Amino acid sequence: MCPIDCRQVLTQIELYLDGELDVSLHAEVHEHIGTCGNCADRSEFQRRLKAMLRAKCGCDEVPADLLQRVHALLQETPPTPL
Amino acid sequence: MARSQAAPPDDPALRERFEREVLPLLPNLYSAALRMTRNPADAEDLVQETYLRAYRGFSGFEEGTNLRAWMYRILTNTFINSYRKKQREPVTVQEDDLDEWYLYDKLGESGVEPSAEAEVIRSMPDEDVQRALEALPEGFRLAVLLADVEGFSYKEIAEILGIPIGTVMSRLHRGRRALEKALWERVRERGLVSD
Repeated sequence: MCPIDCRQVLTQIELYLDGELDVSLHAEVHEHIGTCGNCADRSEFQRRLKAMLRAKCGCDEVPADLLQRVHALLQETPPTPL
Repeated sequence: MARSQAAPPDDPALRERFEREVLPLLPNLYSAALRMTRNPADAEDLVQETYLRAYRGFSGFEEGTNLRAWMYRILTNTFINSYRKKQREPVTVQEDDLDEWYLYDKLGESGVEPSAEAEVIRSMPDEDVQRALEALPEGFRLAVLLADVEGFSYKEIAEILGIPIGTVMSRLHRGRRALEKALWERVRERGLVSD
């Protein structure tokens, strides 16, 4: 079987970085990226973009009053009679 | 007679487990709620409502199943049912010019070396990236949020949103391209690259 080429690899980068490829295709893409500078650059860019999105959009400071509200909810919510 | 609403856990052990396993998810749920509602006051109310519903339903939660995905499903459903109606949807994305590798290629065309491209994005203020994500149409925004910010698998996202995996993949792909276009516009507005 021929190894996959750049065009095929680039269509799979998104699934590759999402960890959604099956084991054999993941290994093929991984191997290609290890030897191809262009595909490696593109893959690395998308990987960093994902990481940056996570860092910048998922770390908001929780307002103190929200913590209090949720804690109070657990303490004050009366058990509903069965 | 069937009760219209499930009771909160009456069992101290269940309450303790809720506090131990569900409360630590609050910071992530709050961030997700902010991206959904685009508004701190609504985000706080959404998270509180989510916790109330989760607490009431916790005795029915099956141990060993995916607690995080369960919480995000409640968050998403609460958002869709209670908050979405209040919001005006942003203008539909023009998709015909959303090329593959949009941002990578645009940065390259501006003379940024591949090794420095990610640095340009990293130098953007957090608020710019947050606004770009929040400006995406809801279907795209939820898919990108759940995959890239929250790290859920396609299968988990399909379950959280109640849509087929193929739809998750399509929304994610198109949502990411639309987000790259929005990020590129902000890179230019900020003067982070020379035209």
